Amino acid sequence: MAAKLIEFYDKAAKEFGLSGRIKLALLTKISSEKAGAVEDSPDNIRVFEQALRQLRTQGGG
Amino acid sequence: MKISTQLTLFFCAVVTLFVLLASALLAQTRTVSAGYTGLLAQQVRQAEMARVVQVSFKKQVQEWKDILLRGHTPADLEKYTRQFHDEETTVRSGAVDLAGTVVDAKCRELLAQFVAAHQTLSERYQAAYDVYVGNHFDFKAADRMVRGKDRPPTDLFDRVVKQLNDDVVSSVAAQEIAVARSRNLALIVSGTLLAGLGLVGLVTVRNILQRLGRLKAVSDRLAAADLEGLAVDIAGPDEIGQFGESMKGVHAAIEELSSLAAAAAA
Repeated sequence: MAAKLIEFYDKAAKEFGLSGRIKLALLTKISSEKAGAVEDSPDNIRVFEQALRQLRTQGGG
Repeated sequence: MKISTQLTLFFCAVVTLFVLLASALLAQTRTVSAGYTGLLAQQVRQAEMARVVQVSFKKQVQEWKDILLRGHTPADLEKYTRQFHDEETTVRSGAVDLAGTVVDAKCRELLAQFVAAHQTLSERYQAAYDVYVGNHFDFKAADRMVRGKDRPPTDLFDRVVKQLNDDVVSSVAAQEIAVARSRNLALIVSGTLLAGLGLVGLVTVRNILQRLGRLKAVSDRLAAADLEGLAVDIAGPDEIGQFGESMKGVHAAIEELSSLAAAAAA
């Protein structure tokens, strides 16, 4: 169970709404459904951190 | 490797191959041309010189007969004697010059024998000439002294001409074999290179088309919102691989949208 990756989706939803979740999926290439199934590996966490940072930089747009 | 790089490399390889083939053909043409030029400048020229000497020798013998037939007239004697000596000089110098240029040892030996035989014949002609003029143009006595004596040098020189002609024929045959060998080598090398290049091009194009086909299949399923069991497994460092990576993002976004829609509907 990738609890940490799911947390990223929660943060994206909280900060940018539904479009934030969709953009996070677009940037990470892993949907929230799949994020629950994959490992919280350092690589995956790094990808999600980078994607969330990008979303914040772009202001979610 | 990127498709643009592959296509550029393939184009460069085709151009390089054709430049190399053109250069090789040009070099081959030059070699063939040089071979025939050498043949014409040396062996054919020597054969031509030999024929000139052969004809001059026959004319020399003819001039001798003219001396015997018409030499009783002072003007004719002077005329035919001069012509006889002119031909004699032409034959001697021609044979000596030829002996200095021919490479074939057998031919050189025959020419040396001819020059010696011709020298002996000249001495005999001179003795017969002295008898002819000294005995009131007694052509029968003079003719008896040299009758048939021109045969051995004639035969010797005929052998020289035959030997030189044989040399030309064998050199032309050797040249033709060399040309055929070069042509076959050029055909094999160019054929192999073109076949190799064609094979590489075919494999490259086939690989690109196969991967584009897989990409199109994924795109068609995404367009039809058919996400069930869809996996975008198109990777690679080229443009198709990069497009596949983008497709993965689109796939994940559609999945996310789909799950959000499902949650909203529930």
